[in-house]
Amino acid sequence: MKKILFAIISLLFAGSLMAQGAKLPENITLKSIDGQSVPSSAIQNDGKPVIISFWATWCKPCNRELNNIKEVYEEWQEETGVKLVAISIDDARSAARVKPHVDGNDWPYEVYLDQNSDLKRAMNVVNVPHTFILNGEGEIVWQHTGYQDGGEEEVIEKVRELVK
Amino acid sequence: MIKRLFLLAGFACLVASAATAQGILGGHVTGNVQLDAQVSHKDSVIGADDVPENLLMNARADILYTNGDFSAGLRFEMYQNPMLGFDPQYKGQGLANYFVAYNGSWLSVTAGNFYEQFGSGMILRTYEDRYLGLDNSLLGLNLTFRPWQGVTIKALAGRQRIFWSYGEGIVRGIDGEVNFNSIIKAMQDSKFRATLGASFVSKYEPDESIPSASDPEYRLNLPLNVGAAAVRADLGFGGLNLQAEYVRKGQDPSALNGYIYRPGEALLLDLSYSQRGFSASLQAKRIDNMGYKSVRSQSGEMLFINYLPAITKNHTYAFLTMYPYATQVNGEQGLQADVMYKFKKGTFLGGDYGMDMHVNSSVVATLNTTVTGGAGTEGYVVNSGIGDLFYGDASVELARKLSKTVKLNVTYAYQVFNPEAEGHSGLDLVHNNVVIADLSWKLNKKHSLRFEAEWMGSDSYYDATDQHHADRRYGDWMMGLVEWNIGTHWFVSASDQYAYNDGIGNYYNLSVGYTHGATRLQLGYGKQREGLLCIGGVCRPVPASNGLTFSLTTSF
Repeated sequence: MKKILFAIISLLFAGSLMAQGAKLPENITLKSIDGQSVPSSAIQNDGKPVIISFWATWCKPCNRELNNIKEVYEEWQEETGVKLVAISIDDARSAARVKPHVDGNDWPYEVYLDQNSDLKRAMNVVNVPHTFILNGEGEIVWQHTGYQDGGEEEVIEKVRELVK
Repeated sequence: MIKRLFLLAGFACLVASAATAQGILGGHVTGNVQLDAQVSHKDSVIGADDVPENLLMNARADILYTNGDFSAGLRFEMYQNPMLGFDPQYKGQGLANYFVAYNGSWLSVTAGNFYEQFGSGMILRTYEDRYLGLDNSLLGLNLTFRPWQGVTIKALAGRQRIFWSYGEGIVRGIDGEVNFNSIIKAMQDSKFRATLGASFVSKYEPDESIPSASDPEYRLNLPLNVGAAAVRADLGFGGLNLQAEYVRKGQDPSALNGYIYRPGEALLLDLSYSQRGFSASLQAKRIDNMGYKSVRSQSGEMLFINYLPAITKNHTYAFLTMYPYATQVNGEQGLQADVMYKFKKGTFLGGDYGMDMHVNSSVVATLNTTVTGGAGTEGYVVNSGIGDLFYGDASVELARKLSKTVKLNVTYAYQVFNPEAEGHSGLDLVHNNVVIADLSWKLNKKHSLRFEAEWMGSDSYYDATDQHHADRRYGDWMMGLVEWNIGTHWFVSASDQYAYNDGIGNYYNLSVGYTHGATRLQLGYGKQREGLLCIGGVCRPVPASNGLTFSLTTSF
C-alpha cells in the first residue's frame, strides 16, 4: 500500500516537472457552433493569452463560471486582450442544445463542441468545469478544476502576469 | 504486479521528463490520476449491507505521450475491490487501455483502444464513463481522412472492451460527412448552413445455438453479420437550426430483444431557434428495437455499439434526479421542448440585474405494440397511437441577482414516473411536485455561502411490508444544504435529506474539499440513498451506503 502511494506521488511529481511547456494539442477535430469542423490548432489569439474552459449545458458550476466571467469579460479583453474559448463536452443528448444555450445566455465567447471528448481526453480533463490558460505561444501555463464563486479573479491574475 | 506497474510507469515518466527537459525526445508526457475509496458500514434502516473488505477502492491513471503529430497512451485501472454499485466483474487491476496515434492535418490513425462516434451516436458510439463504470472502447484500428476542407471520412474495425476482456463480435464501420459551406465557395459566407452525413456499421459474430420459441427442438438461424445504416443532416439558416438523423438496422435477434427478427429503426429530430437572450427548441425521438450490441447474448449495459440518448432534461438537483429516466432501447417515443429567456435589466421582471428564465418539458411513452410471437419471429407489430406513459416532466427555473452579492435560483417541477421504466410492472404511476430554492451569497472577496432547500411532495408512500410501496424513494421529502467556500481552494458542506412522513431516516452528509490547480481532494461522511446514478440517459444502480468516501483527481 505504501509503495503504491509512493508510486502515485512520484508519478505526480514527475508530472509536475513535465507540465511546463505542454502545448495545446493540434489537429483534434472540433465542431464550431455552426457545424463546421475546425482543428484544435485554430484556437489562438494572435500571440495573446487564451482561456480555455471545458463546460457542459447541464453543469451548474460551469454555467456559474461562464455567466460570472461574462460580466467582466469586456473589461478583461480591453485590459489584457485575452480571449475565452468555451469547449462544450455535451454528447448527443444535449449537443443540439449548445447553440441555443449559448445564445440564450448571450455569451460572447468562441464556442466549440467536443462531442466525442477527443480534446477533453487529450488535455486530461477529468471533470467539468476545467479551465486552462495558454500563453501567446499556445503553451499551457495554468490549469484549474472546479469553480467556486470568485474563481475568475485567480484566472485574470494569471492572465495579467502573462501580458505584463 | 500492481506495484511494479506503478513503479514502472513512474520511472518511465521520470525518464521521459528528464529527456523532455533536455530536448532529446522533444515530446511531452501528460496524464491524469483518479482514486476513489469508500468505507461503508451496515445500516438496516437505509438498507446498506455490510462490506467485508472494510475498504473499497477504484483507481486509474492515464498517461499520455505527445510528440508533434504522434501520440501514445496507456491507462492503468484498479478495482480492489470495486466500489459499491460497480460490477464485480471489474475486480482486479491492469492495463485497461493502450494506443498509438498519428494525427496529421489530412489523416489520423489510431491503433489500439479508441473512442469514436458517428453522427449523434445512434449507430455507433464507443465511449467511457468512469462514474458509471462503462467502457465500450474498440480495440482495433481507426482511420480518419480529411481530403478536403469540409470532407471527413472515417473507417474503423475492432472488438469492444467488456470489463477485463474483449467481446467476440467484430465491429466494422464507415462514415462520411460533408460540410457544404466549406467545399462550395459561394456558400462560405452564406446564412444558410448545411452538413450532410451517412454511416454504415456491421458486426460479425460466430453462430451459436438458441432454441426457437415455437418449437424448442429447432434452433434459430442466426444472422452472423448484422448491418445498420444511418443518414443525417444538420441545416441552419440564421438563428434557425434543424438536426436530423435516421438509423435502420437489419435483423438482429439478441438477448436484449428476446431473439426476435424485427428490423430496428430510430429517428432523432431537433429543431431550434435562438437569438441573443432567447432560445427555443423542440426535440422528437422514436426508437424501435434499436439495442445494438457486438455480442448478441449480452444484456446489461456493456458492449453497446450504439448510444441512444435520453430525450429528457439532464437535471442536476437531488430530488429531480430521484426518479431518473433512461432510454428504453427496445422501443419508445418522446418529445421535449425547451425555452430560455433573459428578462432585461431595468424591466419589471428583470429588476436591476436582469432575470433568466428556463422552461422545459418532456414526455416519453412506449410504442403501441401488439406482440405476435417470441424468439424466432418478428416479435411484434407497431400500431398507430402511443403506448404507456413512461415519464413526463415540466419545470420552470428562474435565476435572478437580488443584489451585488446575492443570487437566487428558484425551480418548480412536476414529474410523472412509471415504475415500469425500471422494469417493475403493475405498479401505480408516481406523481411528484418539487420546489427548490438555491441561494448564493458572496460575503467578501474570500468567502461565499450557498444554501439549497428542496421539497418534494409525492402521491406515493413508503411501506416496507408491501412490495408495491417498498421503494425507499417513495413519499414526501425535504432537504437542506449549506456550502461554505473559502477562497478558491476549500469548501465545506453539510446536507440532510429526510423522508418526513415515512420514518426511513435521515440521509445526512458532510464533505470537505480542497482544490489546488488541477488537483482536487474530497472527503465525505454520511449516508447515501440507494438509487440510480444516471449520466447521459444511461443509469446504473447504486446500493445504499453509510460511511466515509474519499476522492482524489489530478491532471498534469
